[in-house]
Amino acid sequence: MKTKSQKSKILATSSMLGQSKAQMKVQQMAFMLIAVTLFFVLVGMIVLVIVLSDLRGSAALLEEKNAMLLVSKLSNSPEFSCGEAFRGTRVNCIDSDKAMVLRDHIGKYSDFWGVSGIEIKKIYPAGNAVCTYENYPECNKIEILPSSSGTGVSNFVSLCRKEKSDEGIYDKCELAKIIVIYDG
Amino acid sequence: MVHKLYKRAQEEMVGFALIIIIVSVILLFFFGFSLRDGQKQSVESYEVNSFIQGFLQYTTDCKDNSEYLSVQKLIFECDNKFICLDEREACDVLNSTLKEIADESWKTGQDRPVKGYELVISVNEEEILVFKEGNATNSYKGSLQDFTKGSDSIEVSFRVYD
Repeated sequence: MKTKSQKSKILATSSMLGQSKAQMKVQQMAFMLIAVTLFFVLVGMIVLVIVLSDLRGSAALLEEKNAMLLVSKLSNSPEFSCGEAFRGTRVNCIDSDKAMVLRDHIGKYSDFWGVSGIEIKKIYPAGNAVCTYENYPECNKIEILPSSSGTGVSNFVSLCRKEKSDEGIYDKCELAKIIVIYDG
Repeated sequence: MVHKLYKRAQEEMVGFALIIIIVSVILLFFFGFSLRDGQKQSVESYEVNSFIQGFLQYTTDCKDNSEYLSVQKLIFECDNKFICLDEREACDVLNSTLKEIADESWKTGQDRPVKGYELVISVNEEEILVFKEGNATNSYKGSLQDFTKGSDSIEVSFRVYD
């Protein structure tokens, strides 16, 4: 038979054992929390480093997206569009006479579109002759904003002008590409 | 007692491993999507759409009594079996003009960004002109344009395989 004092001794020992177990658990939890937090901090830092190192790439990508957006709407801007000059409103239609005149006044538009170059190239009929007032309209490339380097994005347009024939004046439209060049 | 402790430790390790796996999968998705956003497409949808609009306005060398006909007008005249002033059939002019335009605009080949293209023009759901060049792949950009004249309904469909 165990005496009363023996019983209380056993109780005290078991409660101490329970306490140390609980402490152990708290420690485990704390270590786990520290480990998980450290893991996330490390992952966050790695992601941050990658994102920051790719800033230059993102800037180039943004510039490319801007150029693509510009090239898809440039032909419908007042500076290029055919307007009502060719019987009704046409979409993606560039007045080539307008483009030739714009070429001479491009200095006023140097920062307007925020790109380094704009040119229009006839696709059909094909050729490589750069347009001047001497050879126009028997030429294939109108360099509106000349650029020697950069990356180009292009879009199809209809390049229209008034043409003279024996019977009078008629609308002549050819297939061309408008090319926007950006630094990339 | 020792067995119980081992089991608990194992459970915690499994939990930790699960957290790592879940976070890794999320990160993989994140990187996958960010990389996909950055890839430049070889052909953009707006290009295909603009191409159709562009060639429809092209002035052909087929003339009627008053003017040189555009491709759009030539499609209607082809359906009407029209003969140009220079005795050529409207359909022949349409065929040759569009073939040359498409060939100049989309250079196809296995080592090129564009693998092939397909142009279909139909009047009242009947195909009057079909061009196929190169290989048809599973990845393509396409556009469809329809317009009407009187009771005739015209559909121009163009696909570029990349």
